[in-house]
Amino acid sequence: MSPQADSSMPSYTLNCRMNQEAAALERLCRVVRVRGFRISRMTMESAGAHLDIALTLEGSRSVSMLQSQLEKLHTVAEVAVVQSAGVRAVS
Amino acid sequence: MNGAQHILEAFHRHNISTVFGYPGGCIMPLYDALVDDVGVEHVLCRHEQACALAADGYARASGQIGVCIATSGPGATNLITGVANAYMDSTPMLVITGQVPSGLIGTDAFQETDILGMTLGIVKHNYLVDDANALPAIMEQAITLAKSGRPGPVWIDIPKNMLLAEVTTPALKTAPEPEADCPDIARAISLLRAAKKPLLYSGGGVSLAGAEDRFRAFAKAAAMPGVVTLKGIGNPGKNNPYNLGMLGMHGSRAANKAVDECDLLLVVGARLDDRATGKLDTFAPNARLIHIDADSAEINKLRPADLAMRGDLNAILAAMTQAIAEEPLAIHDWQKQCKTWHTTGGFQAADNEESLAPIAGPAFIRQLSRIAPDDTVIACDVGQHQMWVAQHYEFAHPRHHLTSGGLGTMGFGLPAAIGAQFADRNSTVINVTGDGSFMMNAQELATIRRYNLPLKLIILDNQCLGMVRQQQELFYNNRESHINLDDNPDFVAMARAFDIPALFIERTDQIRRGIETILAYKGPMLLHVAISREENVWPIVKPGGSNKEMIDETRRTSTNSKEQVA
Repeated sequence: MSPQADSSMPSYTLNCRMNQEAAALERLCRVVRVRGFRISRMTMESAGAHLDIALTLEGSRSVSMLQSQLEKLHTVAEVAVVQSAGVRAVS
Repeated sequence: MNGAQHILEAFHRHNISTVFGYPGGCIMPLYDALVDDVGVEHVLCRHEQACALAADGYARASGQIGVCIATSGPGATNLITGVANAYMDSTPMLVITGQVPSGLIGTDAFQETDILGMTLGIVKHNYLVDDANALPAIMEQAITLAKSGRPGPVWIDIPKNMLLAEVTTPALKTAPEPEADCPDIARAISLLRAAKKPLLYSGGGVSLAGAEDRFRAFAKAAAMPGVVTLKGIGNPGKNNPYNLGMLGMHGSRAANKAVDECDLLLVVGARLDDRATGKLDTFAPNARLIHIDADSAEINKLRPADLAMRGDLNAILAAMTQAIAEEPLAIHDWQKQCKTWHTTGGFQAADNEESLAPIAGPAFIRQLSRIAPDDTVIACDVGQHQMWVAQHYEFAHPRHHLTSGGLGTMGFGLPAAIGAQFADRNSTVINVTGDGSFMMNAQELATIRRYNLPLKLIILDNQCLGMVRQQQELFYNNRESHINLDDNPDFVAMARAFDIPALFIERTDQIRRGIETILAYKGPMLLHVAISREENVWPIVKPGGSNKEMIDETRRTSTNSKEQVA
């Protein structure tokens, strides 16, 4: 998933560990969208009973608020903001 | 024991004795199990939306979990509005739907919808059962989750074959309670003592936590002026000298003025929603903020908190009460100022019981408040009447005021009143509604009649969608668009068609007798009240506007009429 990046938006990388369940990715992506972020890159690996998901996101809202909302999901075990790239320079 | 019987077993284990539902194809195994179960009362509403809203009303009035049941496809989709309503107002609810058999999922089978996918955004969590042996654990987890922390609806979608399958694993798994952060009581007290104009701002989270007594003890010990959100109405109890009433779009001038002037806002169980705060960057501009809430995601969401206290409101308020009681706050001038504002800028309505004039909505609600017993439950719908109740009815307890705060669901009131009446068959329950809202779930008159519920219905009928008309008048150059309802049915005849007696009144001198008559009647009764089409809810803040810019009956801004409250 790599739509054209918006250079005016701050960019973040989040790592998320979720329980394996049918709607895991839908839950995650829905919250990201509704809370005002766009996914520019996404990778996922199955790790036993868990899914490990890395998201690169763009959005002008507070990423810590997104983190709080994701942590509320019952099947989310852990969310970490691993990188906050800020606004990219326009080339 | 099959899957359906396991569901009923879980109901018994959690003392769930009343459920609201509507049968259909894929949920039939559960209805078959209900035939042999005398411990669960199933209430048959006449539309699945009403089942969900009745479960919501039951939960709000009782403090227990509400349960609704429907079949797959349209049964499930009809529940959605009611479940979204519960989600927005954090009502603990368990939703159970049948689904097409596992092998048919994804084949566009008859009455198949992807209800799990459709409802992701309106539930605290949802499940699609794919293993009958997981059902006991899912039931346990779902009920615990719905009630814990910040409550909310949890939805279990169960394929028909899972309801019929023998379950061989009775093992239960209970979800752990989230641990509370360690609140910094000393810092909170220090901030309170440093403030010259502290203000208490409470919302629906107080009663959701069952913390009404602790809240009142704190409010009394702190003797702080306070405002309430729509869902916080009733938190301070009746006759609290420091309560300035509801703030926000239709809040009192006094409440909004106090928020504007305060230097510390102590937010308890509220989410700073836009209807309450108005334009956020002008909200409480001079105030530091202490935010106490069960949900960490609400803290810093819209306004950064100087001090966040996430956790159980009971524990936090008890600790704060103990600390504040050691030395009262020295805020005499502020208390006096707020009292003055309340006197001049509180909600007011002229009432002259002997007048032959047409009935005014606010005057009617004031009389109802005076006449109805203290423990009356009022279930509102949405619109002008809802705001008049919020402004003019004095509630002794937040669980007496059932209102759709977050979603604003027209049609909420009647089924919610049914739910509240099932929560306590002996209580006085009144659905105060408008002519628009009433027609959204009017089929539930049949449910009232079927169960002979003694609840009362009051329709404030202005023959239009009054709140929309009001905003069209004020903010759209009076260009009325599709709000006319002057072809309403004869509500008295309609009630009688359901074997419910009804009265019609239209003059101020008929109010008292009308209210007393329906309250004295032993069974259900409807009071149809004609009110003026042109009446507005005052004051009002333009949607998206600042609470400083209140428009009152003379349509002057607060700047022009500042001297009224200042």
